[in-house]
Amino acid sequence: MLAELLSRVAATRDRQAYAVLFKHFAPRVKAYLRRAGMEATAAEEVAQEVMLSLWRKAESFDASRAGASTWVFAIARNARIDHARRVRGLPSEPEPEAESYPSAEALTLTAERASLVRGALSALGPDQRQIVQLFFFSDKPHSAIASALDLPLGTVKSRIRLATAKLRAILGDAP
Amino acid sequence: MIRHHPSAETLLAHAAGQLPAGHALVVAAHAQGCPHCRAELARLEALGGELLDSLTPEGMALDAFTATLARLDEPPHPRRVPAKPRQANLRLPHGISLPSVLAGAEISRWLWVGPGVRYSRVRLPWAPNDNVMLLSVAANRRVIAHSHGGSEFTQVLQGSFSDETGHYGAGDMAEEDNDTNHQPRANDDGCLCLAALEGGLRLPWLTRLTRRFA
Ligand SMILES: [Zn+2]
Repeated sequence: MLAELLSRVAATRDRQAYAVLFKHFAPRVKAYLRRAGMEATAAEEVAQEVMLSLWRKAESFDASRAGASTWVFAIARNARIDHARRVRGLPSEPEPEAESYPSAEALTLTAERASLVRGALSALGPDQRQIVQLFFFSDKPHSAIASALDLPLGTVKSRIRLATAKLRAILGDAP
Repeated sequence: MIRHHPSAETLLAHAAGQLPAGHALVVAAHAQGCPHCRAELARLEALGGELLDSLTPEGMALDAFTATLARLDEPPHPRRVPAKPRQANLRLPHGISLPSVLAGAEISRWLWVGPGVRYSRVRLPWAPNDNVMLLSVAANRRVIAHSHGGSEFTQVLQGSFSDETGHYGAGDMAEEDNDTNHQPRANDDGCLCLAALEGGLRLPWLTRLTRRFA
């Protein structure tokens, strides 16, 4: 459904579709940036920039390759990294050339992958789920995990290893 | 055939955007040539998307939507992209080219380290302090690459090397912790690698590195 809206933005610059996407994604992107340690003003500004990128890059969204949330996550993640460079006066990393993967890969079922990932997340215990979340959503994942789970910093690495091993076991060679 | 891949944690860190730029570059170079890791990264990014969806939304400014709408037709900001980087001609072996992830990097000429061992400094304008290099080791030369205080990622671009942990051929990526005291040695075909080391560039270690393999 979100993917369909994105495709409508790409095809016809549909502003109504864009409004729905904005309402869904902007506050989540902002929450992501805040959790990554960005101050409120900066997070607001970068979240708006991410939403502008969504409008401008909509043509490059390929529903057969990634879900809408996955695509937006990647844009937000890169915007977070780029913002950290900007405040230090550093240039942006050039964007990689368009990926051209073999068609068999492009044809993997995005929806199937999304439901598998959802299943994997719920199969993790609450601690492991939190570890994965903090890994994605903190500025300094290792210390964030240590303090959230009340673990000595030295054991965090092995806990992350366990959580990722479990994830990989569930996801396996899924599409 | 690729036998050595980045660890599961490294791929997760890459998908989450938590790797230092130099290390991320090496993983990206590996993924370009490895469908297996590309598929794994696609799954992990999907995990990121799923987690993004599950976040408690944080209210945007009241005028956020109208402000953004007003900017939709603006031309995009000129990106702060660095000027075309200086790249020395490294005279790579016939048929070997640098991975395209290096397109924006400055690449120095070969610098002599010891007999049969040369390196070229790779400087990323967007992360100038990250320690990245191309390393060229002649057949049967040994490198004692001891990086103090951090991990080291090495992607083999051509040839192969071996150490206690195994044999690494073209397309393989080696991940070493600071606590592994490995002594990689190029095999009969020599070795060209792209490597990222945690910590600043420490030249003294490079000068102590090479030894003729007896
Ligand atoms: Zn791989």
